[in-house]
Amino acid sequence: MTQQVLAAKVDRDELREQIQAKYNDVAVEPDKGFHFHTGRPLAAMLGYDEADVDWLPESAVESFAGTGNPFSMGRLAEGEVVLDIGSGAGIDTLLAARQVGSGGRVIAVDMTEAMLEKTRAGAAALGLSNVEARLGYAEELPLESASVDVVISNGVINLCPDKMAVMKEVHRVLKPGGRFQIADILVHKEVPQDAKDDIDLWSG
Amino acid sequence: MLDHTGFAEIRWGHQIDVFSGSKHESDAHEFDTRGVTFSGVRP
Repeated sequence: MTQQVLAAKVDRDELREQIQAKYNDVAVEPDKGFHFHTGRPLAAMLGYDEADVDWLPESAVESFAGTGNPFSMGRLAEGEVVLDIGSGAGIDTLLAARQVGSGGRVIAVDMTEAMLEKTRAGAAALGLSNVEARLGYAEELPLESASVDVVISNGVINLCPDKMAVMKEVHRVLKPGGRFQIADILVHKEVPQDAKDDIDLWSG
Repeated sequence: MLDHTGFAEIRWGHQIDVFSGSKHESDAHEFDTRGVTFSGVRP
């Protein structure tokens, strides 16, 4: 990962609209069928503990659309402040909230309001008072600098045309000594620039 | 990319063929696309 990553030449606002529309569908019509796996079968594929998934509200599980398991890189500690970038329906947010306990806090940031509503509803259903859901973008995080211990994210950065901007924001909001645990997509073969710049290929 | 943002202790987890059996399986295989987990520390 030493190669400089350039931002793709797509209209960022148009891309955001397309992705919001796609993930609004994942939130409100999870059985619609998408070009990626979703829900409980995906969670099992990615190695989530079955008991953890059973603990979660079905409304959160059914709209899960991650690409890995951030907690496979390490369990969170009690009392930590966690940011979940692109939190979606909230399964990682809710699992993180349980791990950090009542002395910790999880801030879920997503650009799709329907997903944030699912996160809030899930936290309420589980009696979690340490979850806060905020509307925002990965490249412009609505958090103060050096304010969180851990950043988690799952399948989101690949949807952002300027990945460097996202990682700079992750660096900004982490406290010194803080860490990130991210799951995402990696392509091992070079994607042609014209494909990178084709907005219709981003959200499928 | 991570080298340019000032993170240290970069670790890579296992990779998963997350598009296997999905509608985008052939496109994903064309570019050898994998789900991956990674972590790092802000010094």
